Order: sequence, then C-alpha cells, then structure tokens
Amino acid sequence: CSDDLSDVNVDTKSPTEVPADVLFSNATKGLVDQMVSTNVNRGIFKLVAQYWTETTYTDEANYNLVERNINGAQWTILYRDVLKDLDEAAMILSENPDASLSEAQIQNQLAMIEVLQVFTWHVLVDTFGDIPYTEALDLENGTPVYDDDAAIYADLVNRLDGAIAQLDAGSAGFTGGADYLYNGDAGQWSKFANSLKLRLALRYANVDDAKASQMATEAIEAGVFESHADNAAMQYEASAPNTNPIWTDLVQSGRADFVAANTIVDAMNERDDPRRDDYFAENLGEGVYEGGTYGATGNTQSNSTIYSERLEDPTLEGVLLDYTEVEFLIAEAAARGYVSEDAEAHYNEAVTSSIIYWGGTEAEADTYLAQPEVAYDEANWVERIGVQKWIALYNRGFEAWSTWRKLDVPELPNAAQSGLPVPLRFTYPASEATLNSDNWAAASSAIGGDEQQTPVFWDVN
Amino acid sequence: QESMTVSGTVTDGNGMPLPGVNVLIKGTTRGEQTDFDGNYSIQAEQGDVLVFSYLGMQTVEYPVTNVNTIDVVLEQDAAQLEEVVVTALGISREKRSLGYATEEVSGAEVNTAKEGNFINSLSGKVSGLDIKKSSTLGGSSNIIIRGYTSLTGNNQPLFVVDGVPISNQNTNTSDQTSGRGGYDYGNAAMDINPDDVASVNVLKGAAASALYGSRAANGVILITTKTGRKNEDIGVTISSGITFSQMDDDTFVEYQKEYGAGYGPFYGPNEDAYFNEWDVDGDGNDDLVVPFTEDASFGGRFDPSLMVFQWDAFYPESPNYLQATPWTAAENGPESVFRTGVTYNHSISLDGGTDQSTYRLGYTLFDQEGILPNSNIKRNTVDVKATHDFTDKLSAGVTATYTNTDGKGRYGTGYSGTNIFQSMRQWNQNNVDFEAQKDAYFTTGRNITWNYANAEAGNFSPIYTDNPYWQLYENYQTDVRDRLYGNFNLNYEFTDWFSATGRVSMDTYNDLREERRNVGSNGVSAYQRYDASYTELNYDLLLNFDYDLSEDLNLSGLLGATARRQTFREMRASTTGGLVIPGLYSLSNSQNLLVPPTENFEELHTNGYFASASFGYRNTFFLDATARVDESSSLPESDNTYFYPSVSTSIVFSELFNNDWMSFGKLRANYAEVGNYAPPLSVQNVYSNPTNFRTPLYSVNSTANNPDLKNETTKSWEVGLEMEFFNRRLGFDLAAYQSNSIDQLMPVTVTAATGYTRRWVNAGEVENKGIEASLHVSPVRTDDFEWRINANWFTNESEVLSLYGDNQNLQIASLQGGISVNATVGQPYGTIWGTNYTYLEDGSGPVINPDNGRFVVDGTPQPIGDINPDWKAGISNTLSYKAVSFSFLIDIQKGGDIFSLDTWYGYATGVTANTAGLNELGNPVRDPISEGGGLLLEGVNPDGSANTTRTQMGNYANAIGYGYAPNAYHTYDGSFVKLREATLSYSLPTTLAERLSLTNVTLSAVGRNLWIIDKNIPYSDPEAGLSSGNIQGIQSGAIPTAREYGFNVRLQF
Repeated sequence: CSDDLSDVNVDTKSPTEVPADVLFSNATKGLVDQMVSTNVNRGIFKLVAQYWTETTYTDEANYNLVERNINGAQWTILYRDVLKDLDEAAMILSENPDASLSEAQIQNQLAMIEVLQVFTWHVLVDTFGDIPYTEALDLENGTPVYDDDAAIYADLVNRLDGAIAQLDAGSAGFTGGADYLYNGDAGQWSKFANSLKLRLALRYANVDDAKASQMATEAIEAGVFESHADNAAMQYEASAPNTNPIWTDLVQSGRADFVAANTIVDAMNERDDPRRDDYFAENLGEGVYEGGTYGATGNTQSNSTIYSERLEDPTLEGVLLDYTEVEFLIAEAAARGYVSEDAEAHYNEAVTSSIIYWGGTEAEADTYLAQPEVAYDEANWVERIGVQKWIALYNRGFEAWSTWRKLDVPELPNAAQSGLPVPLRFTYPASEATLNSDNWAAASSAIGGDEQQTPVFWDVN
Repeated sequence: QESMTVSGTVTDGNGMPLPGVNVLIKGTTRGEQTDFDGNYSIQAEQGDVLVFSYLGMQTVEYPVTNVNTIDVVLEQDAAQLEEVVVTALGISREKRSLGYATEEVSGAEVNTAKEGNFINSLSGKVSGLDIKKSSTLGGSSNIIIRGYTSLTGNNQPLFVVDGVPISNQNTNTSDQTSGRGGYDYGNAAMDINPDDVASVNVLKGAAASALYGSRAANGVILITTKTGRKNEDIGVTISSGITFSQMDDDTFVEYQKEYGAGYGPFYGPNEDAYFNEWDVDGDGNDDLVVPFTEDASFGGRFDPSLMVFQWDAFYPESPNYLQATPWTAAENGPESVFRTGVTYNHSISLDGGTDQSTYRLGYTLFDQEGILPNSNIKRNTVDVKATHDFTDKLSAGVTATYTNTDGKGRYGTGYSGTNIFQSMRQWNQNNVDFEAQKDAYFTTGRNITWNYANAEAGNFSPIYTDNPYWQLYENYQTDVRDRLYGNFNLNYEFTDWFSATGRVSMDTYNDLREERRNVGSNGVSAYQRYDASYTELNYDLLLNFDYDLSEDLNLSGLLGATARRQTFREMRASTTGGLVIPGLYSLSNSQNLLVPPTENFEELHTNGYFASASFGYRNTFFLDATARVDESSSLPESDNTYFYPSVSTSIVFSELFNNDWMSFGKLRANYAEVGNYAPPLSVQNVYSNPTNFRTPLYSVNSTANNPDLKNETTKSWEVGLEMEFFNRRLGFDLAAYQSNSIDQLMPVTVTAATGYTRRWVNAGEVENKGIEASLHVSPVRTDDFEWRINANWFTNESEVLSLYGDNQNLQIASLQGGISVNATVGQPYGTIWGTNYTYLEDGSGPVINPDNGRFVVDGTPQPIGDINPDWKAGISNTLSYKAVSFSFLIDIQKGGDIFSLDTWYGYATGVTANTAGLNELGNPVRDPISEGGGLLLEGVNPDGSANTTRTQMGNYANAIGYGYAPNAYHTYDGSFVKLREATLSYSLPTTLAERLSLTNVTLSAVGRNLWIIDKNIPYSDPEAGLSSGNIQGIQSGAIPTAREYGFNVRLQF
C-alpha cells in the first residue's frame, strides 16, 4: 500500500485560492447585514436607540447583552467575517493579484478595502472602546494586546486619508457587480470616504476641536455626499436568503417580537412628524400612534403601534452612511464653528432630505420645519440637531446610538424592567475573559471598568 | 472380543442431562453424540475406552467392562471455564495469560430483554462502562470507557463485529447535539442485531486494544456473533417477542392545575387583568378572552363559574365556536398525547455444519412503535456466516450482515418546535386540553393552535407553538439506512505452530434523512434532505505463531499489517424560502431558487504495522509485548508516522500454592501507549463558501487548519487482581488504572480578534484515574436452585492538566440558558459553568436579598456542576429453580450533574406543580405576600441570619425561574437507582419439548426501564440527554422514558 497518503487529505469541495473580489463582496455583505440586523441574537441597536421595544420577551430591550451573547456576535462578526476577509483580500491583491488587473485598478481596490476596514474598525471602537488592533488579525498571536481607543482612531484617520489619496476616479474598482455599494465607481467611494471622515471628525468634537475642525473642513472640501444617490447603501433581494435581515426577523419568522417604543413615537407625535406613517403602521387606527413603554412587559402588537410595511420590505436597502447624516454633520460642524457653512441651511436640508427619503414631500418638510419646536435654533442647536438626527436615523440604530452618546440628546429613559440606563458601550464578550484574559483585564482597567456605563474616549460628557 | 451395546445418560454436576456430548472410542474415529436427554448408545467391545468430552467440561474416560450401562457425570472444567476469550484482532487467548482487563457479556444478556439500541443492554453489566441511553426512539447512546480522554474529539469506543471494525459514527447536526433542535438519528453501532450476538467482550484499557491502533484509544467493544455448529442436523431457532412501551410518569411534568394562560395580570384594557377583552361573539359586549400569545401559566386562577373565550372558540368546526367555556384546568393535559407503543421482534436462524463446514443464516425483523403517535422504526437484518476447511491446512470464512432501517416520526429534540416537549415542559398553558387539540387537528386538517399570533386582528397562525398533532402528523421526519458489513478471511496453517490469516473486511452504508415542515406551521415551511454514504475497507494480514520452546516455556505472537481505506461523503440540501405546494416534499417545490447544498467529502487512509509476542512460563507467568507503527493520511506528510508500544504481564499465583478454597488467583499489570491521528481535512486551509448574493462569495474559514499537526498520544498503566474461591462460587476482579492523553489534536477556540474563532493545534493533557471492581457470588447453590449475584462498581476521576498555551478554559459547548460545558485546567473534564448562588465568607448561604426574598445571584460564570458521575454500579440477581429463571438488574449512578433548561423556563412560566400550591403558612403560594402568599427560599440574609423574607410567586418574574434564579438552582445531581431490567424465563422440560419435535422451548417475560427507584431531578429521567458525544449534562425538552415490558418465545428444533 504505497499510495501517497497525503494526496487523499485534500478538501475537494472547497478552494485553497480565491480572487480578492469574492472576499470583498462577502465582507461588504457581512458588514451591512450586521449594521442592519434587528435579530435579538446579534444586532439590537434599534432597541438601544429606543426606536422599538419588545413584546413578551424583553431581556434585550432591558439591555441584557449577555444572555444571548449579543456583544459576542458584534465582536465576532466584525472581526472574523468582515475584517479578516478584507484583510485577506488586501493580502491577495498585494501578493498575488489577478493578472488581468491593471496597477491602477489594484490601487483602487486596495483603497476601497481600506475604506471598509476603517468603517468597520470605527464601529468596533465605538461599540467597545479599547480593542485589539495593532496585533489583531494574526493567527500566530492568540493573545493580541488591546490598543487605546483614541490611538486606534488616530490611526484610522491616517489610513482613511491614505485611502482618499489613493482612490482614482479615472480607474475602475471591483467589477462584475462585486462591489455592492458603488459598483466599482471610485469617485463614489471617494465621496463615501470623505463622508466617513466627516463622521469621524465630529466624533472628535468634544475631545479635540482643532482636529475635528481640520478633518471636517478637509472632508467637505474634498467632496461629501450631495444627495441620497450617493448613499453608501446595499440593495437587498426580494427572496430568501438574500433579503434584508429585518424581513427575516419581522416577516419570515412569523413572530411578533417588536413594537414601536413610546420614546420615539411620543417625540414624533409632539412634533406632528410627517414621517410617522412611513415609520409606523396605523394598526391602532388611522393617525393613531401609541408606542409601547420602553422595556416594559405587556406591550403587544395589538395594543401598540408597530413598524410600517416599509420595514417589512425584503428588498429594503441597508445603509452604512447617507446624505441626511452628512447634512446633519455639516450642520453640526457649522454650529460648532468648525466650518464656514450655514448651519440652519444644512439642518433644514437634513430634515427635508430625510422626509423625502421616507416618502414625504417638500411641502410636508416645510410645514414641519416651520414649527417652533422643530425650526433651527442657534441657541439650542444641540437639542435641535440631536432630536432631529435621532428621528432621521430611524432604522440606523448604531449611528443613532453613537450620536446620542455624543450629544446626549434626546433624553432616553431607563429601561422599564431592569431600570438600566442606555449603555454607553458594550461590555467585552465573555469569551475574551477566558481566551485573552491578561489583555482583557488590562483593557478593562484601562478604560475604567468593563461596564456598560464606561464611556468610549470621544464620549466625554 | 464380543461386541456389545453400551448405553447410558450423561449429566452435568447439577443432574441436568447434557445433549451433544461426544462419546468416542479411544484410538478410533468411531463415536456418537448424546441425544436431547443426554442418552447415548454405542457399539463397543470390552477393553475399549469410552471418552466423554464436552466443551467446558472435564473430559472423562471409562473402560468398557461387562456392564451395559455407563452413566456419566461431567464436571465443569474450572480451568477451561474461563479459558478462552476473544481479544484484539479476533485472537482467542487464554484469559489467564492476559495482563489486562477484559470483561465478557454473554449473548443471552443482550438478547433476552432486547433494546432497540443494543448498547443500552450493556448498561450496569460491565464495570468501567458508562452508558447513557437516549430516551428518544432510535436515539444514540453515549458510551464512555474509563472516562473522557479526548478534549474535543471522539470519546466513544471502537466497535468490532467478528473482526470487522464497524462505524459508530454519530452524524447528528451540531444544532441537535447542542440542544438547538433536530433529530437524534442514533449512533451507527445500533445497527447490530442483538439476536445474532453470541458474546460481547469489552477491552477497556490501551493495553487490551493496542493492536487495533489509533482508533481503539477509547477501548473496544468486541462482538462475536453466533456461529453454526458442526452438526449434520439443521438447527433451527425461532424467536418471537412483543414488547409494550409506556411513558414513565416519573419522567414527565407534573402540571399545576390551579392557574391558566398568562404571565401575570398584564392584560385587558388597563393592562392589569388576567384576560383580554373584546367582543368575540358580536353581541356588542366585550368578552373575556384568554391571552393566546402567552405561552405560560401564570394567568388567572381557574374558576369553573368564569366563562371565557378559549382557543377552541375561534375555528368554525369547533363544538365551542364563538362560545365561552368554563375557566378550568385541562381535563386532558399534555400527557394525553402518549400512547402505548408496541414492538415486535421476530427472528429465525438456521445453522448446521459438517466436519469441514459450518453455516448460520439468520433473519430478524424489529418493528418498534414509539410512545408518541406516528412514530415507528423498522429494522430488517439478514446475516450469513460460513466457514469451510478446504484442507487440513487451508480454511476460509465469510460473514455478511445486511440491515435496512426505516425510521419515521423520530421525536424532535432540544429547544425547537419540532420537539413537542419543548412547549409541554417549558411553555404551556395548563388550560389547554390536548384531546381537544387532537380533535381540532383531525377535524380540520389544519394547524389549529392554542397559541394564536393575534386573534383580535384575525391572525390565527401560531405565534410560537404548533398544534402538537399537526407537528406529529405533518412535520414528521423519515429516514432510511442500508448497511452491509462483513468479511472474507483465509487461514493457512503452515505447521502446527505457525499460521497465516488474510482478511478483507468492509462496512458500508447509505443514509437518507428527510425532514419536513408543512405550509401552515410556525416558521418557514421546508423540506430538507441529508444524504450520506460511508465505506470502510480494512485489509489485514496476520502471521501467527505459537511454539513451546521447552516443556515450561511457550512463545506465541504475531506479525501483522493492516490498511484501512475509508471514505465519507455527505450532502445536505433544503428548500429556500418555503414550500410552494403544501404537503409536497421535494427540493423542486422550493419557493425561491435553491441555496446550494452543503457538500462534504472526506477520505482517510491509514496503514499499520504491528508485532506482538507473548511468553508463558509454566502456564503461570506471562509476559506480552506489542509494538505498532501507524501512518495516517490525515497528518502532514512530514509527520504522519508514529510508533507506540505496550507491555503487560500476569502471574497466576494460584498455581504456586495448592489450596482448596482458592480456585484461581491472578495478578496483572500493564503499560501501554496509543497514538492517534487528526480527523481528515485539518491540515490544509481552505475558503468557505457562503451562499451567493448577487455574485459569488467566499470567506476565510472560521476554523484555521494547521500544517504542523502531529499525532496525539495516550499513555496508560493498569494493575489488576482476579481471584476465585470455593469452586468459583465467589470471585472478584479489581482493577486500577491511570491514563494521560497528551498533545491532543483539537480545534481550540481563539479570540475572534485573530480573524478566526477556532484553530487546530496539538495541545493539552487530560488525566483519568479509576478503580473498577466486579464480584460474583452464589450464596445458594443446590441441585435444583441457584441464586447468583453479579455486581460491579467503578469510579473514574478525570482532570484537565493543561490546555492550549496559557488558556485555563476550553469551552466544549455554549448552551442555552447561559451555561456552558467546559474543560478547565485543574477540574474534571466536563464542568458545567453558569451563574451561581452567592455564599458568605463562612460558606453559609445561599444569600437571599432581604428586600425581595430572591437569591443574590453571582453573575460571573463559574463551575456549578460536573457531568461525570462519582461512581456507577450494577447489581444483578439471578434465581434459577430447575427450568425457571428469574433475574433482575439494579443500575445505580451517583452524581453526574445536569442543567435543566426545562425547569429553567418551566418555573418562570408557572407550568409545573411546584409553582403553585400552598406555602409553609398554608396559603396559596401565588397569593400576594401581603395576603400571606409567596415562597420562602432557604438561605441566609447578607448578615448571616436565616432568611425570613417570602418572595412573590404571582407572576413570571419570580425567584425560581430563569429571570431571577441562578443557573445553579436548575443544576441537579443526576444520581439514580433504577430497576433496569427484569426477566422471567421458563424452559419446557426436554421430554415435553421433544413431544413437540422441538429441542428447546423457552418462554420469557421481560421488562426494561421498569422503575426509577430513586432520583433527584424533577420531572425527567436523569439519563435523558440530547445525543451521544461530548456535550452532556444538559436537558432541553427532555424526552420522557418509556417503560418496556413484553413476552418472548424461543423455539429450537
């Protein structure tokens, strides 16, 4: 029996080499899925931002991140399923690119990978604070050190600048439909990168005005989103398994776990918001909107307002960053004096673009903005921008939560059952304490305790 | 010399006639055999010598004189009685020469009171064998010999049938084994037909199994099947049995019958009542309506005078359509779903032979109904076994067994709607009448649930739970397995001390498993099929020698080579997005384009070369040594060969003294190493293929393979003492052992920050130490009556000595309820981690919060249980009086913890009896504390004084359910005492049998799993688990145990 034994130990069903674009596509989808998901096992940002609350089983609305390992899902999906694939794609492009690719195209693809990596890293930092960064994504180092969150941010800004400089609108990016965000258009990626830079700039608002001001100025000058056509968004498909993950949980599951939270419904009722019939169903009667008490038991889909049919659309696009958010960011940068733009104009455009995005009209927006409690108020810009951005970011729970942490507007009540306040970060996954215990312990003490109420570096008040 | 007829009767020491005794005239080939009554008659001459011989008896010689009648009594041959046992590679060895422990179970012990999974019938019969049966129909049995040695790999022993290593693969999904739902399709060794088993030998330690190589690292279960006898008559055996199975009430929920649907007073217009209100019957007045969405029983107190609209008021075919009915506990609770299952077991075998040949042909039909409706497993077995001596030197043999197993309606397991026990145990409304649910399904053919999603809005689909009869009759699974195993062997005796054996053995099977969820069920309708095929070929060449070097010194041994060629392929495909046509279960009936099936193909080639030598001195001192080299395709080419030795010795010290009371005495000791290889496909990295989106997707695999793997090694030693006294009326066998498994091959969990979540490495060490004891005694033994006791006891202690790098903990499984099963350095393998009680520094506790009477929960996950039993024991008693024999087996386990997800949820939903009733004051425990209700938990205040604060039990947010109790509260000691088996047999007197032209008629009444005499876990069988494998210590939707009792007739002619 002298057959070559090692020949049979080959996986004949899986490849050992793949091109970069299939990894890039997978990472993009993984990232958008995770940012969009409302699954109680992996993505509960719509609850955290108090857009929705739960019906019978209210653990997650009460900020129990541990029972279902929600913090672990965020960590694992972003590191393993997004960053690792991006990292691998970049490695393939650098070391062993497809021979048909031009050098300019490779550089564009690498820059696009870099932009998505920066996006993902900042989501991880914003979620947890200090995280493994410099030593991460290295199999040979099973116990990567945690880096300081501010230091990671500083590096991300540099990397983003590098990617912006590298993007060449005259050359192609990922082709053949592999780029789910911009179909390979480097010019669009450039706008996305600058818009992301603008977002990061405003994260610095309370910790480093100079840096925030400089970054915002550079970003706006270089060109950010100019309409919803520029949005960093991925279109989902009509049929399983490629639907929007929200559809899977709301429709396909046959369950009835969520209702609108009183927090947002009350705020929109007070302002007679024209988006209510876009955000919510009129299941309690025409024009009747009544949210369930946030985090309480006893909310049912028959006694509380639920989400609109639009949220149940399987093809609903998943958004990473959009024009409305950019307009709010410019308004905020202007209000803070970082840029010489008209804060009010951008605020009005932000609100208007949101209303139109959700199906409203210019006229509705004008009426809405004419109300004293909605109209821009320079003296009260934090409250105005805070509340309106929060309303506009409905279905974008993660960004809503992050903006809220920075602006501390609107006031979000403690969850009714547990009495817990809105988390300021996610605690580290339980597995870190056993798998990387020394570094986990050091990081926990460095950030001031591995607690939900320990703020990340840019959340200083 | 005058020829004369000599006749007589041959009996054994008990006066029983011995049929088939060879009566030979010494020095000739002339002979006869005794008949059924032990009578013989032979022509002989004076001066001849008659030789009476019979296997297992002392051979005696009688000279022929002038007497015509010679009655002979044959005594059992003490030396021969235990003489020969089957050891590794099917080699028969004198047991006295063995330096390691083997234990034999006779065929009768596994084929009298039969089990669907024959492994279960070994439970309690062999010391060191830790068997955990599955409660589910056709489910897998976990079998562990001398502890868990592998951290993440297979810990089940190797099964060998007549020299054929057969697969004991468990291909249950990881969702199934970790309690997330799915069916338990059993372990492949359950295909062995108990009717064909002649004996079972258990090789426990590495020394015993060393010649089998790597795959025997966890011990070997050696099965020898029945062989034809050299008998020109055809021996015909017909056996026919019927068994009834009934649910054991002790293993199911006892329901509280005082309160119905709801989580508390949270309903109605003001969210403060137990019922919702709307106008159901259209009379303009609001009606009281059960809160259908709430799968719990913390609702309104039953009151027959209160009329409410229940689930059966909402479907038009209902007798109570649009009618309110009294608010009462269900007359027919979930227990009404059980039925009496009937199992038939029929077999026929023919055997016979000539001087040159033997043959045996058998057929068995096993047809088992489960205790749930629409569940059935049918197994047909055909087997052939033949030997032939072509010449004095050349002989050949062939065996083949074909089995066809057809399953339908296996019970769903774990936390899933397919498992009807999930809702019955955890999420029930105690007002729901299950007979009415049955009527609703059979009347309408629709999924009429008690758990409407939104009845007020006209949505009558189930929000969580289907009608159980819909589930059982529409969403059943089916499966088929065709299997063939057997071998062809040739033996050539070069000389009387040197022979060669060549053998080709094969085991191959195909599985098809189909799972259904019809349109109208909770969740997306689906059809899923799983196809797998497994083939294993083994080629063995053995050279045997057995040579007396001198009168005192014997040398025997063998040289061998073996090659194994194994392939396994599987494919799982499922409809996507639901079914189009209801009730049509095909992949093409998919709503959306199919997601590609998952495919897996694995091949494993191993080559082994081995040698063994045994020295025997004066039949008293024995020394054995073995050596083996293995090559495995699954290790990196540069490091795929490894060597391991064993040495063992025994001293039959009873040969050294001569005394009457000690019949036998032996000391034995051994040391052995066994190397093991990696599973296939763990060396080279590949990309995984998620379902395509608009374009193809690939991803870096979440498990990193490792090109630097090497073999793992288990090192073990063992000592033993075996003694027999008083003509073997009393005897014992003691063994002590230790094994250390090092360089373990495993996919360790790594932080996702590395970009992976698992990585294959060689790391870690697990130690197992244990003591095994078995004892047999016959307190009474007379001519007619014998009382014999066999008892065994064992304990195994495991400790994880190290893991990968500095890691102190390896999670074997993360399970629902926030618990995990772990291997932690310094702890036994298999600790259950979860939240715990808080204890004061002086150890008193648990601490109770004086503000609300609840436990102060220590939320840091920590060890709260250990899946390993402290010890296990079995005691069997056999009482035989003439032709009647009665035996029963008590099976005992001490320790072995279990976390119950069933009580974790069931106590929070108020389903179980302990959530209602009266408190110590005599008041209803669910009454408000202000009115004397509430529960007083045993514990202490933070200052150490006894707790006096009662805690509310009026709604789901109580202190004992999952919301506020620590996991430790739901972790139970799995100890049990069971009456495992009882049989009563009667053999018809031979004279009577003969009148029916039969040689033997045996009637038996048998029972299995008859009575759980003692246990700690409430509402379930402590043995009920999810699947065989390393994830133990959890119950989730536990399946109740079936008591089995039946009758068997066995005819031989």
